[in-house]
Amino acid sequence: MHDIRDLEDLGVVAVAIASSEFRQAAAAQNRSLGYDPAVIFVPHPIQDRTDDEMRALADTALESILQSLSTNLADGGTR
Amino acid sequence: MKTELVMLDPTSELSPAERSRRERPSSIEGMTVGLLDISKRRGDVFLDRIEERLHERGFSVRRYRKPRFSILAPPELKQQIRNECDLVIEALAD
Amino acid sequence: MDAKLVAVVKRDCPTCNLVVPVLRELRAAQPTLTIYTQDDPSFPEALSPIDDSSLEQSYRLSIQIVPTLVRIEDGRETARTFGWDRTEWERVAGVAGLGANLPESRPGCGSKTEDPGVAERLAIKYGGFTFRSREVLIDDAADPIEACFDRGWSDGLPVVPPTPERVYAMLKGTKRSPHEVVGKIPPDYGECTVEKAAINAVLAGCKPEYFPVVLAAIEAALAPDFGLHGVLCTTNFIGPVVMVNGPIARAIGMNSGVNALGQGNRANATIGRALQLIVRNVGGGRPGEIDRATLGNPGKYTFCFAEDEEGSQWESFAVEKGFSTNASTVTLFVGDGAAPIVDEISRTPESLARSYAACLRAAHHPKKVIDVAAFLVVTPEHAHVFQQAGWSKQRLKSELERLLQIPVSELVRGAGGIDAGILPSDAPDPNGTIPKFRTGSLNIVRAGGGAGKFSAYISGLGSITINPVTREVRP
Repeated sequence: MHDIRDLEDLGVVAVAIASSEFRQAAAAQNRSLGYDPAVIFVPHPIQDRTDDEMRALADTALESILQSLSTNLADGGTR
Repeated sequence: MKTELVMLDPTSELSPAERSRRERPSSIEGMTVGLLDISKRRGDVFLDRIEERLHERGFSVRRYRKPRFSILAPPELKQQIRNECDLVIEALAD
Repeated sequence: MDAKLVAVVKRDCPTCNLVVPVLRELRAAQPTLTIYTQDDPSFPEALSPIDDSSLEQSYRLSIQIVPTLVRIEDGRETARTFGWDRTEWERVAGVAGLGANLPESRPGCGSKTEDPGVAERLAIKYGGFTFRSREVLIDDAADPIEACFDRGWSDGLPVVPPTPERVYAMLKGTKRSPHEVVGKIPPDYGECTVEKAAINAVLAGCKPEYFPVVLAAIEAALAPDFGLHGVLCTTNFIGPVVMVNGPIARAIGMNSGVNALGQGNRANATIGRALQLIVRNVGGGRPGEIDRATLGNPGKYTFCFAEDEEGSQWESFAVEKGFSTNASTVTLFVGDGAAPIVDEISRTPESLARSYAACLRAAHHPKKVIDVAAFLVVTPEHAHVFQQAGWSKQRLKSELERLLQIPVSELVRGAGGIDAGILPSDAPDPNGTIPKFRTGSLNIVRAGGGAGKFSAYISGLGSITINPVTREVRP
């Protein structure tokens, strides 16, 4: 999350991908930073997934990722 | 028991205590996307697929990697990303 | 009469241990004796002490020394003693023959309520004091100094994290109510209460005794004559300069001597900084946003000093403005830095005045007139030259005014091969002169170390909407 904050400070629009297990830790880090970066959560677990399963997670997450980077409603942007 | 430090806000409190995200562009068409691998296992497979899908959609993609996930990204790496990309996706924290 | 006794002790105190037999005697004589223990709830044994490790009771009883014995009649305290003194304990308890085997007296130990930082914590918790400012919570593991940077509260240098205890201590530096509104700070016109000012004074690193000066500086900055909005929203270099006169400068240890305009003195450094942080945090005045200064100047971190009034035969700036020598004042003016005047040779006031005029002529630009103001800072060795010859401050001012009448022919565009300058049509008399400084916008003050034939001028905008303002410091 610090990286996201730093990258955005440098002028790059940024989003982090994290497993759903990471929600609590992300919230705590955000409180520290006083900052709520864009994060897309993918379902836990991660480590024991096959390559095909990882690719499926990426396919599913793609739309949300693009939405988090743009305000264009055609992209389904939220901000 | 988690303890917290309390500070008192020195500002006029006209805006929320939390910083907001960087403003998003109205269109990201044709932009260069950086994919930053934090070096946790399986993240590379995820990002390979994201790269494939982004190429399909006409984005330019550049790949980057942090030495390990437990540290902040080195300043030179962040600068490089800033110089070469408009958008960045950092993955995958678990 | 409904009398009861209350004792406050701690195990970590030899005198408290010494008086345990006395407490036993008192309990026997007065079963209602209440014993509060500040550290170990099992002390004193077999006397059913009440745990006051939270120090709430000790706070409410205003305990400073342990052991303390208090007599309460009909709900009101009527007598108290601390440490051990047989006569005193017998008086307060109303019981004779106490501690027969004990020495006559023995001093006590510090109460735990006197430990560093504890007084503020207790006052906030039990004293019914509430802050009105929003609380910002960060995890204990986070770095509070980084958190302050992250939230944009800093001027670029580390700030002191504004914990409630620190802010409470700062508020004790003034008699004014925390909720009193000092004013609205441009450009956002955010409301600045005494409490908000205290939080920023903590950020800056001020001590509580500096706080009344900070408050006076804010008041001066908000005076319409000072034109703070114009000072902030400009491409010009200027920032506010804070100058202190009167007894308070010495009382809080300000520097008016060696390196007076430089670093190293906490009061000078932090009072100026507090004002800048208030502009930033409460007013929203930030570089790149409303502050469009092309270059700015380092004084925008902090620029604050005390005028040297000792050994000066000239009246101070505050006295010139009509304040008594006993008054403590803060003067705000605008400045863009300190420009050196180096003259190590002149021994006559006429020559030195000409040196000053030659340097002042160039303030901002040799062809800039009227829109320039300046504070001339005369150091002791130079002041001596004037005072030896019997020149008053006013005499020097008049001389400088005379020397700084600039021929229009030198000021017009194109003169000297320089395109900059005034339009001939703007000059009332093309064969006449125009004063470098509008009347009243060249001021003279004294500061600096006793060795060194250098003076300086602090130039700034000489607009009719931006003027020096002086305010008295209130406790």
